[in-house]
Amino acid sequence: MSTNRREFLKKASAATLSALAAGNARSVLAAEKLEATADTVILLWMAGGMAQTETFDPKRYEPFATGMDPNRVLSTFPSIPTSVENIRLSQGLEELAKVMDKATLVRTYQAGDLGHILHSRHQFHWHTGYAPPLSVAAPHMGSVIAKTLGPKNPDMPAFIDVGQNLEIGAESDSLKAFHTAGFLGTEHGPFFIADPSEAARAVRPPAHISKERFLRRYEQYKELLAAGSQYQQESLKRAIDNAHRLLSSNAAKAFDLSLESKETISKYDTGRFGLGCLLARRLTEAGARFIEVTSEYIPFRYWDSHENGHERAKIMKETIDRPVSQLIRELDERGLLKRTLIVLASEFGRDMMTEGKPEKPVQDQVKVPDRLTEMKHYGMHRHFTEAGSVLLVGGGMKRGYLYGTTADERPCKVVDKPVRIEDLHATIYRAMGIPANQGYLIESRPFYVTKDGKGKPITDVFV
Amino acid sequence: MRINILLLCACLAVNAASPVDSIVPDGKPIVSDAIFARRVYLDIWGLLPTPEQLADFTESKDPQKRERLVDALLANKSNYAEHWMTFWNDHLRNDEGVVYHGDRKYITKWLRTALESNLPYDRFVRTLISPTAKDDPDGFIIGVNWRGTVNASELPPMQAAQNTAQIFLGVNLKCNSCHDSFISKWKLKDAYGLASFFSDKPMDIVRCDVHTGELSSPKYLFNNEPLIDPGAPLADRRTALARMITEKDQDRLARTYVNRIWKRLMGRGIVEPVDNLDAKPWNAELLASLADEFKASGFDMKALLKRVMTSRAYQLPAVEPTANYVFAGPLARRLSGEQFSDNVAAITGQWRLKQTGIRAEYVREWQVKSTSLTRALGRPIRDQVTTDRQDAATTLQALELVNGTVLADQLHLGSQRMLGVLQPPAVNIYDSGIVGASKPVSAEFDIAGAGKLWLLMEDFDSYDRTRVKARWGGMVLSGPNGEEKIADQWETIPSERVLDLKGRGFTKLKAVLSCDEASKASDINARVRYFAFKSQPDKRQLVKVTGEPPMAQSWSGLNADMLVERLYLYTLSRKPTTKEARIAKSIAIKNGKASADGLEDLMWSLFLSPEFQYVH
Repeated sequence: MSTNRREFLKKASAATLSALAAGNARSVLAAEKLEATADTVILLWMAGGMAQTETFDPKRYEPFATGMDPNRVLSTFPSIPTSVENIRLSQGLEELAKVMDKATLVRTYQAGDLGHILHSRHQFHWHTGYAPPLSVAAPHMGSVIAKTLGPKNPDMPAFIDVGQNLEIGAESDSLKAFHTAGFLGTEHGPFFIADPSEAARAVRPPAHISKERFLRRYEQYKELLAAGSQYQQESLKRAIDNAHRLLSSNAAKAFDLSLESKETISKYDTGRFGLGCLLARRLTEAGARFIEVTSEYIPFRYWDSHENGHERAKIMKETIDRPVSQLIRELDERGLLKRTLIVLASEFGRDMMTEGKPEKPVQDQVKVPDRLTEMKHYGMHRHFTEAGSVLLVGGGMKRGYLYGTTADERPCKVVDKPVRIEDLHATIYRAMGIPANQGYLIESRPFYVTKDGKGKPITDVFV
Repeated sequence: MRINILLLCACLAVNAASPVDSIVPDGKPIVSDAIFARRVYLDIWGLLPTPEQLADFTESKDPQKRERLVDALLANKSNYAEHWMTFWNDHLRNDEGVVYHGDRKYITKWLRTALESNLPYDRFVRTLISPTAKDDPDGFIIGVNWRGTVNASELPPMQAAQNTAQIFLGVNLKCNSCHDSFISKWKLKDAYGLASFFSDKPMDIVRCDVHTGELSSPKYLFNNEPLIDPGAPLADRRTALARMITEKDQDRLARTYVNRIWKRLMGRGIVEPVDNLDAKPWNAELLASLADEFKASGFDMKALLKRVMTSRAYQLPAVEPTANYVFAGPLARRLSGEQFSDNVAAITGQWRLKQTGIRAEYVREWQVKSTSLTRALGRPIRDQVTTDRQDAATTLQALELVNGTVLADQLHLGSQRMLGVLQPPAVNIYDSGIVGASKPVSAEFDIAGAGKLWLLMEDFDSYDRTRVKARWGGMVLSGPNGEEKIADQWETIPSERVLDLKGRGFTKLKAVLSCDEASKASDINARVRYFAFKSQPDKRQLVKVTGEPPMAQSWSGLNADMLVERLYLYTLSRKPTTKEARIAKSIAIKNGKASADGLEDLMWSLFLSPEFQYVH
């Protein structure tokens, strides 16, 4: 490992030199040195707004009855006990209930008040810590971590993004706007795996090129290069070499889910998200630095339920319950959970009645009838920025710990210990050994990894 | 004799007065014709010279040929604009087709016309800042907005002020849009003063998210006099600012721009960073003299390009960057993502397709959305002004180049196309365009002469394709021998159905194209496109393509050896060395004939070579 590390540093400094030469110098601002409690982050992204009252923060259960008053509905599922005495979850998360003793649950995440609910804008805010429009291109959290810490294994892309198709129609460009390294430069951007079941293809030769031909092509390339002009060869050739090294390295095998037993696959396989969790485990083992696995954002799909919310929440819980708990369990069994921080989060919560925050409601996007006449009306169809749940597991987090309380009656506000995005980010960065006031210079002015460098890590959640 | 000496002195005096010429001492070797041609083609058209264009130039005996080539390339309005659109889209944050839920407007049409007509730069800037006529663009002053509340420092007038200052004046107002700058002389009030020219009412001055209770009024950065009554109508205020910048403060406007162009062509500005004109130039006389010439030319953007490109400075051999910058020639510059994509397309004939309704045409990269390849190669997301693309080679880029599907497909099909063995795709006889769930479409089209019919239903960005049910409903085939109804059912998409017409002389097909009731759900949002073909369709290209590609391709009639040589001449603007030719032929030629796979692999090696990827 230490040779690898030295080797990597050698390469990094060469890359930095070429960046300097190109006038792209971006010096790191001096910040205190922190000891990391984690080496890898796995962000499990619940795209589209996960209803906290239907998952990790259940409230009074109100079964459906024709003609019922929607104001009475807080949760559409009963709650269930977990392996931690003071934590109950919503029915449908039975497997996660069993591993809550390994997790910290934050129930008081408060999403930004952006004046209007726009999923992609709130997701941008969550992933970068800044709300667009912005005068500099803000980097994704994964890029910040990739830039600051570099790859853990030099063969492995530092930041891997699993499960999001970027061409989703009208909101495609808004998604692309934050799935980027921004001003940190494309080298720190995400390596995309849209479909985890086909991840192996991303590190295999193009479909029509055999392995043998692929390797021969590379040899021929080097031969031609050696015979030709020496012009500007070093940096480009190094990049091509790095790519080939990844493709032929052991790290590449991490992308191949077919190397897992059928039994293991079946424990994860609830579809793309579930397989994404399995892929995340393999990538963690192989030395990835930041992995995001998303349930995928597509307008009105998955967690983004504007009708049939109850049914949808049931399906989504089925999608996440087994694979997330299995991921936690397996990382723990393999001794990796200690240094791997799993974060399960969403851009905001949901509620039956409130759009935005109780004190600062925004324009409704879903009409809730005065009386519920059909099952499709039953569910959390409005976007709630007052409170949402975040799961933090491993990487220095306490086990079996509950942080923050929300009220049991509507509007189910945060009662204590509110957590803003900059604090949540500061917590994640803190675990990775990155101070909240770590900054990069862009256009001669500092850009901090949390807004104005002022994020405060939640010290309570650390062991 | 005496007179001659005087004349000579006069000449020297002219030279001495123009540092553009005098920064390079006499006798310094300049680049060969081939390298010069390669540079100016890439810098003016963004495309490599074809081997034929290259030969025309290198073989010409005209002593003025370099100047004439620059003139000729600049005179081609379309090719010039097609390349420089990218530069301006970066600076003006213009990106056709990018939609956020919020205000944003493209200025593509105006911008392209402005480039094609070589609109003088002062008018160009004036129109952007102060659009008055019906076809003037207001996208620049509208900015990039997302629905919802916005930080005071990013309100549209503030965006307009920041961008005007950055792009046209080389002043960074981003710090002081929020508070007095810590790194420059600019104050919060300066940013608000400039923003007030773009605001329909006095703006609340907000310092770091706290309202100061003060209201702003228009004030220009370099002038404390009131240019306009704060109560004047918005249009008048913008006009006042535009006049200030383009008439009274021409010098700054000109210096900022010539510095950008110098950087574009030489790899480094005379002042760096180019967005801070107040930094120290490495040659103040050079900057001043270029700016003076630019003003004197009537802000002629093409004349400026020509001035720099015909200078000896531009014609020096390319150099690698050094830590302490001393001008020794242009820096080698990486091709932009757009240039890379366009040149691979020009050589292989595999251009990108732009769809408009049910038609598609071959276009250059800038006209269509970025791909994972061009994003990796630095094509930016245009939420911010981009004045300097990063050109470092990275591993993620390399992964795209080595095994990404975008380049792999382009080369795979391109090599077959070059050898003339690529089957042209079948052309559809019917294309419904996008059909939504709530709007069925009646189709009726001619099928005369068809032995079989391929009826396709394709997804077009439905939110949930897997739950879409669609059909070619109520189909009736008719012809002189009568008609026949065809049974139908709801099918998932994509679907392909082949009807055997058994030579029964049907000439017409009628159908109602629709999706089922459930497909109307908001989370399915069915968007289906129906196509009909008389022969086996090629799924990669279902849409009908019209028009010519941006550059014609000519690989026919070459034997294998000539093909390899032409490929070198096209990609690298030179012939292969003996050794290269031997290796290249061993890759591309199998049993005396060029093989598609071999050609593909050879092109891959050439496109990945630094010599191809840099303007040098």
